[in-house]
Amino acid sequence: MDHQESGQGGFSRRSVLAGGAGLLGGLLLPWVPGARAEEYAPIGTFPAGSSGSSVFVGIGVPRTGTYAAPGEDELRGMMLAIEHINGGNELIRKISPNTTKGVLGKEVKYGVADTQAKPNTAVQAQSRFISENKAVLITGSVSSAVAVALNKLAEREKVIYLPGISGSNDTTGKDCVRYSFRECFYAQTAAAALAPTLIKSLGKNKKVAYLVPDYTYGHTVHQSMMEYLKKGGWTTATSQVAPLGTADYSSYLLNIANSGADVFVNINFGNDAVQSVKQAKQFGILQKQTLVIAYASPFLAKEVGPELTAGVYTPTDFWWTLEDRYPLAKMFVAEFEKKYGYKPEWSANAGYMQLAMWAEAVERAKTFYPPAVIKAYEAGQKVDSTVGEVYFRAADHQLVRPVIVMRGKKPSEMKTSDDYWDVLEVLPGAPLMQAPDAFGCKLGSYT
Amino acid sequence: MSRLARRFWPEAATAIGLIIAPYVLPSLGFAPDTVSRIVMWGLFGIGFDILFGYTGLLSFGQSAFFGTGGFVAAYLLTNNIISSVMLALVIGTVGAMVAGVLVGVIALRRTGIYFAMITVAIAEVFFFLENSPLSDYTGGENGLPGVPAPVFSIAGHTWQVTTGWSMYAFIAICFFVGIVIARAIIHSSVGAIFVAIRENPTRVQALGHSVWLYKLAAFVIASAYAGFAGGLLGILQGYMPPDAFTFDTSGQLVMQTVIGGAGTLFGPLFGAAVWLYLRDFLQGPVGLGAAWQLALGLIFVLLVIFLRRGLIGGVADLLARRRPHAEPPEESAVIDTTSSLATVGPTARQRQPGTAEGAPILETRNLTKRYGGLFANKGIAFQVMEGELRGVIGPNGAGKSTFFKMLTCEVHPTEGQIMFNGRDITGMDVSRVCQLGLTKSYQINQLFNRLTVRQNIEIAVLATRRGRFRLDLLRPLHRVPGLATQVQQTLELVRLTLRADVPVADLAYGEKRRLEIGLALASSPTLLLLDEPLAGMSPRERVETVQMLRNVSRGRTMIVIEHDMDAMFELAERITVLHEGQFLAEGTPAEIQRNAFVQEAYLGGVAAA
Amino acid sequence: MLNWPNLVSQFFNGLALGAVLALISSGLTIIYGTLGVLNLAHGAMFMLGGYAGYVVWAATGSFLLAVLGGSIFVGVVGLFIELVVIRRFYGRPPEDQILVTFGIGIVIVELVRLAFGSLSVTVPTPPILSGVMHLGFLFYPTYRIAVLVIAVLALGVLYIILYRTRLGLIVRAGIEDSGMVSILGINVYRVFLLVFGIGAMAAGFAGIIHAPVVAPTPDVGATILVETFVVVVIGGIGSFPGAVLGGLISGEILSLTSAIDPAYSEVMLFVVMTLVLMLRPEGLLGVRGRA
Repeated sequence: MDHQESGQGGFSRRSVLAGGAGLLGGLLLPWVPGARAEEYAPIGTFPAGSSGSSVFVGIGVPRTGTYAAPGEDELRGMMLAIEHINGGNELIRKISPNTTKGVLGKEVKYGVADTQAKPNTAVQAQSRFISENKAVLITGSVSSAVAVALNKLAEREKVIYLPGISGSNDTTGKDCVRYSFRECFYAQTAAAALAPTLIKSLGKNKKVAYLVPDYTYGHTVHQSMMEYLKKGGWTTATSQVAPLGTADYSSYLLNIANSGADVFVNINFGNDAVQSVKQAKQFGILQKQTLVIAYASPFLAKEVGPELTAGVYTPTDFWWTLEDRYPLAKMFVAEFEKKYGYKPEWSANAGYMQLAMWAEAVERAKTFYPPAVIKAYEAGQKVDSTVGEVYFRAADHQLVRPVIVMRGKKPSEMKTSDDYWDVLEVLPGAPLMQAPDAFGCKLGSYT
Repeated sequence: MSRLARRFWPEAATAIGLIIAPYVLPSLGFAPDTVSRIVMWGLFGIGFDILFGYTGLLSFGQSAFFGTGGFVAAYLLTNNIISSVMLALVIGTVGAMVAGVLVGVIALRRTGIYFAMITVAIAEVFFFLENSPLSDYTGGENGLPGVPAPVFSIAGHTWQVTTGWSMYAFIAICFFVGIVIARAIIHSSVGAIFVAIRENPTRVQALGHSVWLYKLAAFVIASAYAGFAGGLLGILQGYMPPDAFTFDTSGQLVMQTVIGGAGTLFGPLFGAAVWLYLRDFLQGPVGLGAAWQLALGLIFVLLVIFLRRGLIGGVADLLARRRPHAEPPEESAVIDTTSSLATVGPTARQRQPGTAEGAPILETRNLTKRYGGLFANKGIAFQVMEGELRGVIGPNGAGKSTFFKMLTCEVHPTEGQIMFNGRDITGMDVSRVCQLGLTKSYQINQLFNRLTVRQNIEIAVLATRRGRFRLDLLRPLHRVPGLATQVQQTLELVRLTLRADVPVADLAYGEKRRLEIGLALASSPTLLLLDEPLAGMSPRERVETVQMLRNVSRGRTMIVIEHDMDAMFELAERITVLHEGQFLAEGTPAEIQRNAFVQEAYLGGVAAA
Repeated sequence: MLNWPNLVSQFFNGLALGAVLALISSGLTIIYGTLGVLNLAHGAMFMLGGYAGYVVWAATGSFLLAVLGGSIFVGVVGLFIELVVIRRFYGRPPEDQILVTFGIGIVIVELVRLAFGSLSVTVPTPPILSGVMHLGFLFYPTYRIAVLVIAVLALGVLYIILYRTRLGLIVRAGIEDSGMVSILGINVYRVFLLVFGIGAMAAGFAGIIHAPVVAPTPDVGATILVETFVVVVIGGIGSFPGAVLGGLISGEILSLTSAIDPAYSEVMLFVVMTLVLMLRPEGLLGVRGRA
């Protein structure tokens, strides 16, 4: 039955021997950068996936369903990054100085699958990319449920995974794995950044109504928000938990309208956020309660219109007007708009940045051998990004990066048709983040 | 081919196919993971095919059992409650079966579209339960990551199942066992009854089988396969996804089964292969992206319209069309009364002890049926003695058919009592009444049209040999003691021996009528009711059939409804006349012919018409 | 939120929800009652109505034209489907009919996805009906009240068609006894064609009316379809009054359970359906024997 294994190669026996030698060498000498691939024991898709002139990246994003819009944006960010990596674009070289063309001189090829934001579909698609295409990297998610499932797949298959969009504390918390690295910030950090701003501008002792999507992301954001808002004496009037992809929010919104809350914290994302905000307007909630979007949902302002997002508070990873503050952001926005004809949302930024940082880590490791790449990530190397200098925490594989707090502009305040949000604050990430082990992260072994 | 080879070649072919798949499929672009998934869906589908393809129950709720089995197994394994993967799979399967019983008891109260709609709704409830109240156990939207793969230790050798082809080998072995069991079920008496239920559940019930219990059995078998396959899904990808519970899972299973061909056991496997291959192919090389589902949807619709039996059925039909077959000759119904064969029939069962000779075998008291304000039957008192051949006549609308339906308990009376062999059978289930030895042939043929004559009669005989319900799932049909003899005797009695292996749909009308009577006869009734046995027959066929009935009546009690007066006066010993739902007269044929009331009723009827 | 204002709000919301459900379900139920076909593409028709209305609205800017154009378009699609596909299935077992309509539903959804993408499209509330009405203690969107009124009117039109016209007479006769209609020498196929068109149109009409409330996505029909099943099972399949009653009951179950915990509202619906099946299998206003 092991036809495939024997088919993979003439090199299998040799690489076992070489792997043994490498292990021996590793015991005698400190790890030597620049060691040839053959000196490592095969692991995951290594060395099969990187023995040719190109390497394969498996991309899985939702292209249908509730999260299709951010999914498509994320995909575009990734495709732009791969184009830049292969072409040795200036922007990539600013993030990854060692990059010339491709990654370690190998062209990056990729496959895209529609995950429908369902963990099972995502796991299937990525398993296929791993077994069929010998992917050296798998990436993409808009749902933390997908991210958590792929974390486990990455751990089992020993292939590095980069989530994309995943706001749950669990992704680098209790479900963290050695083989996954998250670029975006998450529930706890978002709440820690947003809560002081809210308390400062809206006052103490407010009553809050929450609308919570029923899965890991929604629940952890809900928990974190309640915890941080408690510091201002804010209490919970009601928490309405709705399934993902709910069409009609009227029942939930009536409960919120009649709850006597002052602030309406909407934790929905993607199309769910669009629908629930529009309907909240219809039920007169936005006139009575201040709307807070707990984690910015890409395209929200564009889809519901600036009238509805005016005065709305939300934390985000990236907004295009950051181009005034960061030169890399300016380059990124320009490149993205040139290719796709619109300003990138934070989903595109996450897709772009995490692939760029992967290229940077691999170039530093000088091999695709996953444990070496992981160690390169874990070295805490500071990298320039579209939001300034950032680095990965070794203990939970979370990127330490700033949180941007924004408030929706009134239509009259908008300078261009894309100018929906006012950047209030750019808060450094490190002081906001919890200790790496606070959410029970235990990274697995390298091999 | 020997009988053994003929019976077991599919198993052998399956084994060979599963073994060579890893050597052939990769060159066609199938990855090991995809092949494992196909086989897993194939196994899931075997159970569904028994339910839908064989028993005719279209369920859109199989995800409930797939998910239940999967999550029970995954929960036990990921929480280290059980370390043996096989044991966890078995417990998961049992869990799914328990769920199957619970759901079946509710859903099987209705049939057809109601059944389909209820299964959809119940599956939604399961998804909800998994997703919200039980999320502490199932991980809610996250599912359960980290499901381990099995390790086997046989005689000092350890086989650690990992991903790739080793996982395939494990799942393929499971599939093979699954197909062997499923084929055994299909070739058992239970399997034969499943198919009969698909064709005509009412008749199966009337022949003395408990249709409800057999449907429940099919439903639970399907849940077992679903539960086991669900467990495999978790092991296959090391992750048990909540998606297992969603409607899409059920829908995909239905579509794959139909694409491959329902009622073949292998259809779901081929359907899954087509589905997963096209999914990869359309998304990858063809570059359809998100539109791949559209292509699959179109293929599905076209198959349902033009290739009812899916890909396998289509190929089988093509092969069958090229093979010419000779029509066996028609057989005459004329019975040579001197032939010894004619008297060797399925004999009536022994009389119940305690019934004195000459006591009424059937008696009704004040039998009344009311539909709204309308009386179909009113206050009928009726007695038939053991060994009698009784005729029941009456003008159109006299309530004869309703009367018969009440006697066999197909319809329950509004008032009154029915005693059979000294036992009150009022309100009893029709299958129980048949088991007691009272059965009926129908005015309008109630046959299993897609089965052969022999298979039709087998269904009737099985009820007498096995009772209302028995789960001898693994005993082949031909091993049922006495089955072949009794079938043969019945075939001879209704003169269909030469047509035994012809599908009912290909029979001439007269032959179908004889088979209709044969079905009733094959249940070895002590009391046989015949509802217009001569209906629609040509004059020649009538003569032949009357002759046949006379033969059949030896050693039996019979009640016959008939419009053909001449035949009735010739055949019956005594005649009861019903008029406007009430008893009018009773007597010998001669007495009835002379009866003034009867003449008036008939003339009046004629005058009114 | 168990307080009186909320219970009353939810009760009112249940009425609005129920009226729309009743309208969609009545389409499903008269198709089943007359043709004997359970149309699993009915949810897709609802979705299609929203999109067709959106296209007309985008082209003309008129909501009224969008409603007219959208429902007529879906009606025509219904006629087309009946002529090309459903007609081949009258002689085939109900399972085949379920399968083929299930497939048609998928094809329609995926076609719409291909043409419009997966994002929702927005049909704005007509300006006269936008805004919020303040009904004493209750804020309620004006448009949702309008939806309630429109749905009730549409149900009234259906009632007139079914109970005051020759076509309706035939349809009702067909529901009572499908054999009788053909005996009467009526061109059954033309009746079937019309009924399928009207049923589809009812779903499409509901779709476009509902579009400003819930922006249509290709998948919006799937949820609605399951709820519609529950409605007709509760009300009795094939019965127009049953669909109306079932719709209202279902709307109230969904909304009133939401007042306590919205998570349980769907499951409550299924619990009630199961209870109805146990106690009165033919549905509240159903006739025994059709199923």
